[in-house]
Amino acid sequence: LRLTIHYYISSLLYFSSPSSEMVKFPLKTCFLPSDVIRSIRDPEKPNTLEELEVVTEKCVELQELSEDECLIIIRFSPTVPHCSLATLIGLCIQVKLQRCLPFKHKVSVCFIFCPLIHHLFLSPVNKQINDKERIAAAMENPNLREIVEQCVAEPDD
Amino acid sequence: MKEALAEVQRISAHPDSRCWFVSWSPNGALLASCGGDKAIRIWGREGDLWVCKTVLQDGHQRTVRKVAWSPCGNYLASASFDATTCIWKKKNDDFESLTVLEGHENEVKCVAWAPSGNLLATCSRDKSVWVWEVDEDEEYECVTVLNSHTQDVKHVAWHPTKELLASASYDNNICIYKEDDDDWECQATLQGHTSTVWSLCFDAAGERMASCSDDRTVKIWKEYPSDSGQGVFLVDSDLSWKCVCTLSGYHGRTVYDVAWCQLTGALATASGDDAVRVFKEDVTASPDEPVFSLVAQVTRAHNQDVNCVSWNPKEAGLLASCSDNGEIAIWRFKEED
Amino acid sequence: MASHFSGVLQLTDLDDFITPSQECVKPVKVVKKQGKSVAKIQIEDDGSYVQVNQDGGKQKLERAKITLNDCLACSGCITSAESVLITQQSHEELLKVLQNNKTKETEQKVVVVSVSPQSRASLAAHYKLSSSEAGRRLTSFLKGLGVHHVFDTSFSRTFSLLESQREFLERFSRKEQDSKALPMLTSACPGWICYAEKTHGEYILPYISTTRSPQQMMGSLVKGYFAEQQGLSPQQIYHVAVMPCFDKKLEASRSDFYLEEAETREVDCVITSGEVQKMMEEQNVCLSDVEPAALDTMFSSVCEDEFLSHSGSGSGGYLHHVFTNAAKQLFGEEVKELTYKTLRNKDFQEVRLEKDGAVLLCFASTYGFRNIQNLVQKLKRGKSPYHFVEVMACPSGCLNGGGQIKPSSNQNQKDFLHQVEELYKAERPLLPENDTKVAELYKTWLHTLGEERAKELLHTKYHTVEKMTNGLTIKW
Repeated sequence: LRLTIHYYISSLLYFSSPSSEMVKFPLKTCFLPSDVIRSIRDPEKPNTLEELEVVTEKCVELQELSEDECLIIIRFSPTVPHCSLATLIGLCIQVKLQRCLPFKHKVSVCFIFCPLIHHLFLSPVNKQINDKERIAAAMENPNLREIVEQCVAEPDD
Repeated sequence: MKEALAEVQRISAHPDSRCWFVSWSPNGALLASCGGDKAIRIWGREGDLWVCKTVLQDGHQRTVRKVAWSPCGNYLASASFDATTCIWKKKNDDFESLTVLEGHENEVKCVAWAPSGNLLATCSRDKSVWVWEVDEDEEYECVTVLNSHTQDVKHVAWHPTKELLASASYDNNICIYKEDDDDWECQATLQGHTSTVWSLCFDAAGERMASCSDDRTVKIWKEYPSDSGQGVFLVDSDLSWKCVCTLSGYHGRTVYDVAWCQLTGALATASGDDAVRVFKEDVTASPDEPVFSLVAQVTRAHNQDVNCVSWNPKEAGLLASCSDNGEIAIWRFKEED
Repeated sequence: MASHFSGVLQLTDLDDFITPSQECVKPVKVVKKQGKSVAKIQIEDDGSYVQVNQDGGKQKLERAKITLNDCLACSGCITSAESVLITQQSHEELLKVLQNNKTKETEQKVVVVSVSPQSRASLAAHYKLSSSEAGRRLTSFLKGLGVHHVFDTSFSRTFSLLESQREFLERFSRKEQDSKALPMLTSACPGWICYAEKTHGEYILPYISTTRSPQQMMGSLVKGYFAEQQGLSPQQIYHVAVMPCFDKKLEASRSDFYLEEAETREVDCVITSGEVQKMMEEQNVCLSDVEPAALDTMFSSVCEDEFLSHSGSGSGGYLHHVFTNAAKQLFGEEVKELTYKTLRNKDFQEVRLEKDGAVLLCFASTYGFRNIQNLVQKLKRGKSPYHFVEVMACPSGCLNGGGQIKPSSNQNQKDFLHQVEELYKAERPLLPENDTKVAELYKTWLHTLGEERAKELLHTKYHTVEKMTNGLTIKW
């Protein structure tokens, strides 16, 4: 049972250099998504996604699609197949990526269908975790924010 | 391209936050902006520059998503993620909070005044669209609660002259409402977009509507009387809207906003690909098959998503845009003579 | 799945239409225990869930079941309750009980069906009969299926009206000391109650009348008085209510109406007017062809073979009765006819008692969500001028309830509703205080039980549903 998430980081890896010229960085040299993702905690359990074997280093793959477009594939096996917390984990991943990436970027998240996962269940999840307005509003909800902060906090030790 | 968008001014309007929306006052003299810092800022012109005239800060507990001026220009309504809508009254150069409209279950996404100024529409993630009526004592009462959408409602817009309301939703549809007998009813559901419809607006005459979507397209809808047999998307109504044009291939990501200039007919878009674009209609094309072409674009209008574009209602070609990086930019759209 | 509940209930739902099996899980935060290993969960080919322990041992997991009470106590969503309801309260359930009575010796039940006058009017309009005629034929149809008794909830509504009137006078007398004594808001509409409990809680609940609705008054009568008379335990009776509204199913499921000792609900099952029509269609029965039967007079408001009704609105006439009674009791005014003033729309009306230019009583009826909303906001701002408000969730009230029979394709919705209203009004009204059978029950039954017990049987309580603050369960 494998649930796959594809991160399309497309066309947009720019940030302003001191001379305010737009400088493009080759993606591969500046960031390893597996480092970002694996320390995220499971919202329900005290363990990280890596400890739960939901995400391991092997599961993270980076493909450069074009000069400025990149795809990060994360194979993700949730503890429960119709995981009701998928949207929450998606929110955590989005927030963590936004905070940890050293440059301005745009992320699209896509859960890839797996034969055992309900179609009807996954596509709404994809839509929701790619809606920046919903994410912004969710992070203003103190109860939700508290959980997300706990999940994305760097491990103490 | 002979036409061009020239940058007039760039302002860090909501620093360290998103700027979600900008709106010109009806006389074009003031610009209101709002954002993730929970504040509303009012900008006015001093010499050649736009400067902050006042900041409305304590109205909302969360992000202010949209602001709307009343047609008379004396009131400002603000919609917030805190589930409320605030009505502000202009007093000389300042604004005071007049009332707070409660009732939505969660984030209010948009607010819009009807042309008469007596009706106000709001919409929310709770899937509903509400119409409020204002009486002489400045009291607001709910006239109707419409539940035609099955998801988050992103935007509401009134017809420029009639009491006809349109809403855009995360359910990919557009709904058109009208008062019928004793209550408001959804008169038509427009299907065509394949993802969230983020915004929509009417043209100056109110005969057409432009909508923009997460499917990266802009669609132009035209109104037909129901007996003309043209309405394909007709759902038990006496007038129907048909998609007559789809602008695709121009936008690299979600189109968050579309604005139809009431003076020139130019159509501006705001997109998640950081660009501001302007389209113009080919006047020789048939009204049933209009042709729009890209006449100007700034690909890096902002260094993050562009959330909103707004044409000044009095000064032709003056365009404001705002972005996730908290900036507002003022542009001048120059047309070929 | 499209929801059948009233618009108010749909609005309190913040989520998409989600069935409990997929989305409604109550996640529990686990505290990390040192050294404790993590088990995995696998799905087998047959779709069952299996827990795999670290030692390789497998354990089949049980499917979690969500009861209606879980749903009612949770502010997460409400429509989830719908699929639960459909399995627990449906005409199939009634047929199952009737079938069981025929085929098995054990677990025999006395089946009682209490029919609302609004449902009779709806059936009457559909089958082109008078309301009383529809009632007589429905009685015959139900008895043919094996139902033992068919009662009429106009009868229990007389109790609701009398108790409302008493409660109003009591509240009016303490209005100076208690700012939440007035306005008294009616409580017969379960959609409104559910909305008030879930979204306005402590602020609004004190205003709501504690008087039971006709359905639940009948619950007390059937599982209390009737059971005793017949020498039955409440559990031996299967009590079905036929109602114009799906939300009534939620009401019947409230824990307040569960008899702990007897382990049974006062109303076991609620079916709607539409479901009765469906039931007849499934049996290839047309109500207009059924031979009428004599009426059960024990718990029915009847005069010979004609049903009797109450004056005022099609939603029970609470405003009418409480107003005329209060005018008489408090101010000595005999009000022959009420003048309804339509305010913002037809579902928001006002009735006043004025004397020498002073407003003595100010009552209103507010139907539909938009008017409920304005009422609630007025109360919150301290701007409500009312002493009493008849509140109903559905536009046009109960005769237009979500469970009523839909007009056929060639009928106009408004015309059909108008017909139902006319048929309902055609029944002769009876003044609640003139019902001798009810007066007799107060005297012989309720009086002997004592004041406290009588209050339990005639009134109920409301409970604030706490907003969910667990981030795991918040829908965003």
